[in-house]
Order: sequence, then C-alpha cells, then structure tokens
Amino acid sequence: MKQKEDNVLFVGIDLGTSRSSICASNGAKEWIESYVGWPKDFISLKVLGRPVLFGSEALQNRLSLELCRPLEHGIIKEGIDRSEEAVREIIRHLVEISRPAAEQKIYAVVGVPADTLKTNKLAIRRAVSEFVHSLMVVSEPFAVAYGMNLLNNALVIDIGAGTTDFCIMHGSIPTEEDQKTILTAGDYIDNQLYSYLNEKFPNSKFNKNMVRQFKEQYSFVGKSPGEIRVELPVDGKPVMHDITNEIKRACESILPAITETTTEMIARFDPEFQVKIKGNIVLAGGGSLIRGIAAHLQEALKVIGSCTVVSVDDPLYAGSLGALKLAQDMPVKYWESL
Amino acid sequence: MISMIFRKRTHRLKESILKGVFEENLKILGKPPFRISERMPLSAKKISLSFLVILLFILGHGNSLNLPLFQEKQTIASSDTKKYFQTPENPLTLSDNSINLSDAKAFLKIPGLPLSRTFGLTVKTVMIDPGHGGSNTGTKGKMGTKEKDITLDIAKRLKMRLDKYGQYNVILTRENDVTLPLNKRVALAQSYKADLFVSIHINYLPSRPTNIIETYYFGSPSDDTTLKLAELENADSQYRMSDFRKIIEKIGNTLKYQESKKLAASIQKSLFLNSSKEDGNVQNKGIKTAPFLVLLGVDVPAVLAEVSCLSNSKEERELNNETHRENIAHYLETGILDYLNKGEASYEAKRR
Repeated sequence: MKQKEDNVLFVGIDLGTSRSSICASNGAKEWIESYVGWPKDFISLKVLGRPVLFGSEALQNRLSLELCRPLEHGIIKEGIDRSEEAVREIIRHLVEISRPAAEQKIYAVVGVPADTLKTNKLAIRRAVSEFVHSLMVVSEPFAVAYGMNLLNNALVIDIGAGTTDFCIMHGSIPTEEDQKTILTAGDYIDNQLYSYLNEKFPNSKFNKNMVRQFKEQYSFVGKSPGEIRVELPVDGKPVMHDITNEIKRACESILPAITETTTEMIARFDPEFQVKIKGNIVLAGGGSLIRGIAAHLQEALKVIGSCTVVSVDDPLYAGSLGALKLAQDMPVKYWESL
Repeated sequence: MISMIFRKRTHRLKESILKGVFEENLKILGKPPFRISERMPLSAKKISLSFLVILLFILGHGNSLNLPLFQEKQTIASSDTKKYFQTPENPLTLSDNSINLSDAKAFLKIPGLPLSRTFGLTVKTVMIDPGHGGSNTGTKGKMGTKEKDITLDIAKRLKMRLDKYGQYNVILTRENDVTLPLNKRVALAQSYKADLFVSIHINYLPSRPTNIIETYYFGSPSDDTTLKLAELENADSQYRMSDFRKIIEKIGNTLKYQESKKLAASIQKSLFLNSSKEDGNVQNKGIKTAPFLVLLGVDVPAVLAEVSCLSNSKEERELNNETHRENIAHYLETGILDYLNKGEASYEAKRR
C-alpha cells in the first residue's frame, strides 16, 4: 500500500486551535503554536525584520504585532478578515519547515475537528490547497485512531484546545453518527481558571496567556501532586500565590461533559460490541496530558461497567503522525484524481 | 498462518477505509463518485460480450412480439415524474401574488401602511428560526451539505446584522446543532414575546436543475407541492391532539395574516431581486400560503423563507461559500427592514 515515489513528499498536518503540527515522509516533525502576527506598522516591521511571525515568537512580540489566532473551536473563525489568510500562513510555514525538495510534489492529509461543518472543511481546503499538490481532509480523532492502528472497536477522545472530539472506530470509515464534537476543552479550562483566579486574587495582575501557561505546567485532576504556587504581580511587586485548588477545579470542570458524551456514544453503539469499546478508550490531544485524567475518567465511567482508558504516548504529534500514515497508505490513483 | 490471515484482514480493512476517506473528500469537493478503470481479464470480456449478444437477441424478439418491455417502464417513469414535478397551474409568482392591498384597505381604509405603524406598534423582538437541527437534518445536497447547518449559519449572520442597529432584541430559536420540535419553537416565540418571526429554510427539488426562492405565510396550501412541503415541515411538530382546538382558533387571526403577507412579500422581493443579480437563472416562485404549524402557532407576523435550493449543484457549492451565505443574510435583513419601514427603504441591498 505504501508509495515509493521519490518525487512525492507525504505530509500529515494536525491543524489545531492552540498548536499545529506537521510530520513528513522525509522525517521532518515540527509543531508551532497556532498564532500568526503581522507587524503593526513600518517601525514594527523594521524592528522585527520580517513581514510575518509565527507561534511563540509571535506571542513574545505581540505588542508590535497584529496578532491572530485564526482557529476557533478548531475551525476557521468566520467574519474575521485575516483568519483565512492566517491559516494560509500557518500552512505555508508548516510546509516550509517540512523541507520539501525542489520539484517535489506534496500530498497532504489534514486533520480537522470531527464535527466540522462542511463549509469549514472547504475553507480549510482552500487555505491548504495553495501549498500542496493534492489534499485530503479527515477528522482529527480518526487520524489518531488510524495512526495507532485502532481500526476496530475503539473510542478515541481527542481533547484539544477548542474542541474535544469523539470518534468510534468499528472497522470502517466513521460516519457522522460515530463522531461528536463538544466545545468543552482546553480553552474552557483557561476561561474557568482565569475567572477563579480573578475571584480569589482581585488585586493581582495576570492575563489569559499566563493562565494558559499555568494550566500547561501544573494541570491535574483528582489527588493533588503537591502545593502549586506561582508568582503574580500585586501593585507591581511579585507575590507568590497558591493556585492548587483553582487548577484542580478548572481542570475537573471539563470532566462531566466528557464523561456524559462518552457514555452517550457508547450507549448508542451496537450492544454486542459495547464491551469491546469500553475496553479500548484512548485519550489524545493536549488535554490527555492533564495528570490523572485517564484514571479519573476510567473511574467515572464505572457506572456503565468496567472501562479501560489510556493516554497516547505522544499527544502533540499523534494526530499528524496518523495523518501522515494515512497519506502514505493512500493509493496513488486516489491522490491523482483529487 | 494465523498472523498471515490477520494481516490480510487488516490490509483489506485499511483498503476499504482509505477508499472511504477518498470518497468523503470527493463529496466535500462536490465531485462525482470515482470509478477506477481496471483491466478486465479476456475471459471476463468474452463472457460479458456473449451475455450482451444474448440480451440483445432476447430484446429484439421481445420487440418483434410486441412485448411492452421498455414501453411499460417508460410509462411508469413518466407518470411518476409528472406526479412529482407537476408545476402548479397558476404558480403564485410575486407579480401575480404580490400584496393585494384591497383586504387591508377595506379593513383599515389606510393604504400601504403596515398595521404596526398604523397603531404605533413597535417591533422590539425579532425571532429568527433556523430550520431543522440536531437529528432532524432537513434536506441534504449531493455534496453532503445539510440544510440544518446552512440555515443556522445564515440565521446567525442575520442576527449579527440586525443587532448592529441596536434597536431590536434579536433571538434565535436555536444557536447550536440541536433538535428542536416545532412546538418548542413556537413556545420560545411566545415566551420571549416575539414581535416578528422569520423561519429560514432551504428548498430541495429532486432532478430539477433549478434554483428557486419562495416565501410562505400561513394559509391554505397554494398547491399540491406546497401541501406536501408543509406535511414534511410539520412532521416533527410534537403538537398533541389536545392542542388542536387552540391551533384552529388561531386561523381567524386576520391582522396577523395581513401582516405576515406583507412581511413575506418584502422578504421575497428583496431575496429575489438581489439574488437574481448574482444568478440570472434563479426563479421567483413568489409568496405562497401553506399550513405550516410553526407559522400558525406564533401570534405575530410570521413567515417561512425558502432562501435557496440545495438540489441545485451549483447553488450547493455557492452555499458552501461564506460570502454567499452572508449575502443571503443581507437580503433577508433588507426585506425585514423594508417591511418595518414600509416605503422608506430600498429593496436593493447595499453593501455594508
């Protein structure tokens, strides 16, 4: 099934709200934060020295940039003038850092949230097709499942920043009924944490970007791994704050919706195969890095019987690696007719 | 041996999944299903050829014996087609069904003005109803575009546009992809005390390569097709027989009827006038009456606009384009505003 064409570079892209990653058949493997920034004026352009900045570099220089995080809930934000342009820039950048050889054709598989409206799949196609020769769009959790060879009797839960995507695999391409997207995901945790911290420390100064960094560094559910203390300025002076309870509350706030949707998806599946699926639940995406989340979900799902929940080894690249595997396995005749 | 069988099975499974992925992407692009030309073995070719010769021979005899082999099929097909696509004898186009003011004049002796203005009534709450939702997908185009998604998107855009005026409290009956029966939609309009109700839908005319625009208000069905459409749209009403009396009592609401008719005419005119500039082939089916329960249930001027047609492939592609959906929202906005400021606004949608 694998293509042996030297003049083709296969790439798998996971286009995420928070992070986007690319894996290519030449071994390239990169990720960036899904931010794009354009210098605000000619002075910023002169200082920064480039017409466009990406990821963490764009975030660091955000005061000199017109900053855009173009994907909301995993889809291109509509009505925002530069969103589609920003997605194009992210894709162009990702393709560039995958180092395609001159004259090499690029065949790409791009992962998008499971429930993405078709209009958005088309918008993503438009943004990507400029930089690749042939392109296929698949759902993110499906790409993860394919990459891990979970083709039958498995449930993949991809907890991203904008969305949590569910996908049941049952030996064929998942239909709409096998997939579901909810908006309770990483960004939701950020908002909760931000409001909890504001409530507890009204005199301290912090922003959403700092809150997101706290979450990424300290997130946990269930038993606390120890006291979590962070430095926040109060009246300009650095002061240590204990945020253990707030981190726990914010991270656990996404669990009821995930448990409920998991139960609902399993319940509507063929009863004969439900036991097999319960024994094969896989967490992917950045949210799977929350300490204790797999064990906590496994415990919460006991109401529907014994379940096994595990997290993928490499959540940052699981989606793009799966997409790359799909790209490599896809017969040439399919690529050429798209 | 077992591992070899397992590997083969996995290989077959992957092949079918990869084909599925490919076909899904063809669908997104609106391309027809892919056929892979594969070489047919010589023996298979010979068998097919012999079969074809025998078939032709039998058919030839059939015809000479006057067997109505094809004739009958054609008759069935044509009668089906005729039944399904019969155009109404007097289609209610805007020109011959545009607002007949005689009823209103007789009632109020004031021509031209909507009752809202005559009685100094203000419109504060506008309820927009994106048709279908959740498990009720509505119609579906060949590329897989669902009516429920498009209606929701257009409704959100329309809300954003109307919100900009700061004068109206614009509420959507649903803001997400959820199943919402008709009785709940009506209940929402009542609980929010809506002053206007606009339901957005997309048409589907199988095998007819046209794009039509039509707007309905409550009344007896204009023709068989409208009756069928109303039956279809009323299917998930979830009204009970015990509600029947209340429903029937509402039929005599003359003021609502007149105002709904005017609102329908304003919306239809704006939709058609502006859409025809983009697509010269779009057909104006005018305003029509149909017994849609959702229109009967609400006590205020209420219309159901079929703003586009998903069975038309070109239109389906267009509906997947953000600009096109924004334009439709704009035309709806213009129609609604024109109704509210009768005679003062232009039907021509100006780019804002």
